[in-house]
Amino acid sequence: MTVNKEKLSKNPLEVVTWEVELERVGIVRRILYARRWYGADWWFVSISALAVALFIVVALFPKFFAPYDPETLVGPRFMAPGAHPDLPVLVVLKNSPVNNLKDLAVSEGTSRPGISVVQGVPTAGALNEQAQKIDNQIKNESRGLRLRPVIVRYPTLEEALQAVANGNNQAAVVQSTEWEEVSDQFPTLREGQSITGVNSTSGGFIFGTNDIGQDVLSRLLWGTRVALLIGFSASIVALVLGVPLGLFAGFIGGTFDRLFSLLMDSLYAFPGLILAIAITAVLGPSILNIIVAIAVLYIPTYYRIVRGQTLSVKEEVYIEAAKSIGARNMEILRLYIFPNVIPSVAIIFSVNVADAILTGAGLSFLGLGLPPTIADWGIDLARGQRFIQTAWWMITFPGLAIMVVVLAFSMMGEGLMEIFNPKLRER
Amino acid sequence: MSPITIIALIIGIPSLLLLAYVFAVGSTGLRRYILTRVGLTLPMVFILSTMVFFVLRVLPGDPVRSALGPKGSPEMIKQIRDQLGLNDPLIVQYGRFLGEMVTLHFGNSLTGGHRPIINEMSERFPATLELVLPASVLALMIGIWGGALAASQRKRAIDYSMRIYSVVIYSLPIFWFGLMLQLLFGVRFKLLPIAGRIDPVIGTTIQHITNLYAVDALITGNWLALISVIRHLVLPTITLGLILSGVFVRMTRINVIETLQSDYISAARARGIREHVLVYGHALKNAMIPVITLIGLQVAILLAGAVLTETVFSWPGMGSYLVERISARDYTAVQSVITVFAILVALISLAVDIIYSLVDPRVRY
Amino acid sequence: MPNDILYSIRNLTVEYQTRAGPVRAVDNVSLNIRRGEILGLVGESGCGKSTLGKAMMRLHTTPAKITSGELWFDGRDLMSLSDREMPNVRGAEIGMVFQDPMTSLNPVQRILDHLTETIHTHEPETSDATARVRVEELAERLGIQRERLNEYPHQMSGGMRQRVMISLALALHAKLVIADEPTTSLDVIVEAKFLDLLKELQKEFGLTILLITHNIGVVAEVSDRVAVMYAARMVEVGDASDIFAEPKHPYTQGLLKSVPNILLDGTELYKMEGSPPNLLHPPTGCRFHPRCPYVKDICKNEDPNLKPVVMDQLAACWLYQETAVNGR
Repeated sequence: MTVNKEKLSKNPLEVVTWEVELERVGIVRRILYARRWYGADWWFVSISALAVALFIVVALFPKFFAPYDPETLVGPRFMAPGAHPDLPVLVVLKNSPVNNLKDLAVSEGTSRPGISVVQGVPTAGALNEQAQKIDNQIKNESRGLRLRPVIVRYPTLEEALQAVANGNNQAAVVQSTEWEEVSDQFPTLREGQSITGVNSTSGGFIFGTNDIGQDVLSRLLWGTRVALLIGFSASIVALVLGVPLGLFAGFIGGTFDRLFSLLMDSLYAFPGLILAIAITAVLGPSILNIIVAIAVLYIPTYYRIVRGQTLSVKEEVYIEAAKSIGARNMEILRLYIFPNVIPSVAIIFSVNVADAILTGAGLSFLGLGLPPTIADWGIDLARGQRFIQTAWWMITFPGLAIMVVVLAFSMMGEGLMEIFNPKLRER
Repeated sequence: MSPITIIALIIGIPSLLLLAYVFAVGSTGLRRYILTRVGLTLPMVFILSTMVFFVLRVLPGDPVRSALGPKGSPEMIKQIRDQLGLNDPLIVQYGRFLGEMVTLHFGNSLTGGHRPIINEMSERFPATLELVLPASVLALMIGIWGGALAASQRKRAIDYSMRIYSVVIYSLPIFWFGLMLQLLFGVRFKLLPIAGRIDPVIGTTIQHITNLYAVDALITGNWLALISVIRHLVLPTITLGLILSGVFVRMTRINVIETLQSDYISAARARGIREHVLVYGHALKNAMIPVITLIGLQVAILLAGAVLTETVFSWPGMGSYLVERISARDYTAVQSVITVFAILVALISLAVDIIYSLVDPRVRY
Repeated sequence: MPNDILYSIRNLTVEYQTRAGPVRAVDNVSLNIRRGEILGLVGESGCGKSTLGKAMMRLHTTPAKITSGELWFDGRDLMSLSDREMPNVRGAEIGMVFQDPMTSLNPVQRILDHLTETIHTHEPETSDATARVRVEELAERLGIQRERLNEYPHQMSGGMRQRVMISLALALHAKLVIADEPTTSLDVIVEAKFLDLLKELQKEFGLTILLITHNIGVVAEVSDRVAVMYAARMVEVGDASDIFAEPKHPYTQGLLKSVPNILLDGTELYKMEGSPPNLLHPPTGCRFHPRCPYVKDICKNEDPNLKPVVMDQLAACWLYQETAVNGR
């Protein structure tokens, strides 16, 4: 016999006084006045929720945000943030249509373009290499164009540049830093692109590059994907396993409860990171294994809290009253206990994701987690540790990223806890 | 006597005496409680170490083969495996494992040149202890004071600052924090050392009595060494201690707030007892009771933090040992370390429960 | 009956700031408590009597606030005391006995320490030995054996704990004791003993007691005078014998009729119509008018004040009062 849900949804034994009515403000009113009522906690939750949304967007579409590919060696090694890489660049007349090497290609038969270089400087070699590469490229394009510049050597930088200013040569190839030093002397000349095609001034890597030349910022943004993936997956798995176990253990009790509680308590008391280390050591490094290891860590948290709440709700008199009008166990679980448990679970989830990201980063920092090819904050930190004396940006920014993301989730959980926990409200 | 034995005696003898005293003086309720608690500890350690055993045995890959490298012929591998007893049926291995565990006979390091693990641990364990103890004290001091302060000034600036502090600290990856401290104080300002327990040159003058370098330096009057040890301790302790304090601040704050809302606090207020006595005298004391149990659980976080801190600061403790040995696929060592951790956690949990029972009279009678 | 007034509540209003708006838990209430009497304050749950009791010692906590009124205790307006001075009055001059003695006692503090702490807070020069002697004497007077003082609250029975609460209120010879639902958690026999104890203390120490309860039977047992509250207002005050014999206010009448009489023979239990109003939006005029069997037009529009009906008996009801504009 299923009981009329209307009857069950209100506490049958409740004495309705005006004080109780006060709690029953509508959900709309709650949302509209939430900021005034909950004060700073509302700000906590809102700001962090926005941040979390932002991170999720970045994680889903990293290509959109990242200036470079995280794996490719886009620049010189160990570039400090904002420093301009010292590349060999083209210097041309201000009104010249030439921007990069390719622009100097001419059709067969026309006179070959002249390029000045400084004697004794290795730029000539690099220039040759690049020119040959591009030449082969355009040869295959069979548009009748070829790039076979005449390389003219000058004893000094000024003479090399003067040749271009005088029109003797189409372009000069010099180091960008050198050009900057003397650019005032040649008001008719301007800087073009580097001989590899990258804009020299635009190549300022905002967070610098790491020890092999990858862009730190791009790795940071791509790392969000891994971090959030691990964080969410591990927490969801733990939730899906822990909550039902907790509900049943609390509700049914008996040997099931005792057995699982002993198991969960032992698990819970044990240092999480160490257990995760052991599990990943056994299973091997891969994202799936990390997720499994971390999920196992957090099942006891959900279990204990849900079980505790189930136990205390079970003791309430209105459960007995509901039973006496014929409610079945599943209904009681669904209508009374489960809704009471949801706020706590939400809080735990939020904090869990934060913790999972931390643990995941910790594992990869120790070199025990992910295969080293994936862009991940922990791995970058471990790498950076070796170069702490020279490249401070390699450890500062990945760690900052971890902290900001974890902070967003923790703040959300913290704020939610103050809002949901009735015991802490002032009454 | 090995340093481990000395430490075990220093901690063990007073604890046992205290236990005996409490047992003799306490009521039957208390005695029963202690016995049950001690009784429950055993299954916990048992479960954990069994888990460790099987988890490590289930692994793919053969440690002996990887230790010998490509030079190892199949016969050699089999011979060594026989020697180490790795070819016996799992049950037999398990039985042997239990026996070894009970006698603390950890055997020899598998891939580390067959050095006895217990020797290594007698160096490493005191190192971890030397790091963990000051860090815990720091964390407790900041945490309890900060939490009580926040609770007494509810919804005012201090409360929010404390909450932000604890959330930020909690979100701080401990290894990054350590690295940043190293960067700032070690590299940028060159004030403090960033690796190791003691200056390597001065380290040769240390007498290894307890292997707690600070203690050893103190009792032998080796002031130079003492200073070096303290200088090396500063950054790691701050790293571990500060991060841990975040948790304590939050726990204390919540517990004190809840306690302050109790009826007996209102009743005491109705008798004219002053606010600050209520907060720091009554509420804090009562709030500490659940916090004590939670402190016990924080040991888990402490050990995890220790592993990371030791790695960052090249601190030669149990944590870094564990990480090293895993990379080296030294499963015997890994097994031993994790077992020791499990025993540690169980013992501390037991101690905490007993202390709890002494503090809260409701449990006793 | 001594006429000297110990505590005079004048036009007290206590407001709660709630999510749904401001609520007046105590609305313009005035009451005089005479020295040496036991005054029973009755009313249903939510009528404001507990809030009134707490406000009398300024023990109410946010979100409740006293928005107007005066609290004249023994010649002083307690509202004029600062936050630092108020704790001196609490415990020493006015004591409170709470409803649930189990939760009102500190579980990790011995009974003895509860008492000595109170003494030391107000009289810090007292030596430990003197304090202890005083505590033991007081305890014996209240029927608590000396040895039990070393125990913890959870080791005692409910009745014993309630005696401890009284002793806490009396430790410094308070003049007024406010007892907020002191017998609600006690069984009937223990309750009877407790009430007897109250009467004895009144005689022996010249104690003034404000007994707040929803239990009419208890009030009838011990009170010299009775005050009835309804929906945050005081509706009737008078001598106990008068009120029980001839209740004037319709609410009081209904209340007394609702008490089950053991001599009932066959007739149904009387039940008052309706339920207490929502204090967020109280009814216009007299708050009882939606439930009143004698309701008149004026009742719906104007709220009557507490005025004498017969000698010392006051009621807030239009049945006994003329309005400025006669008739209607």
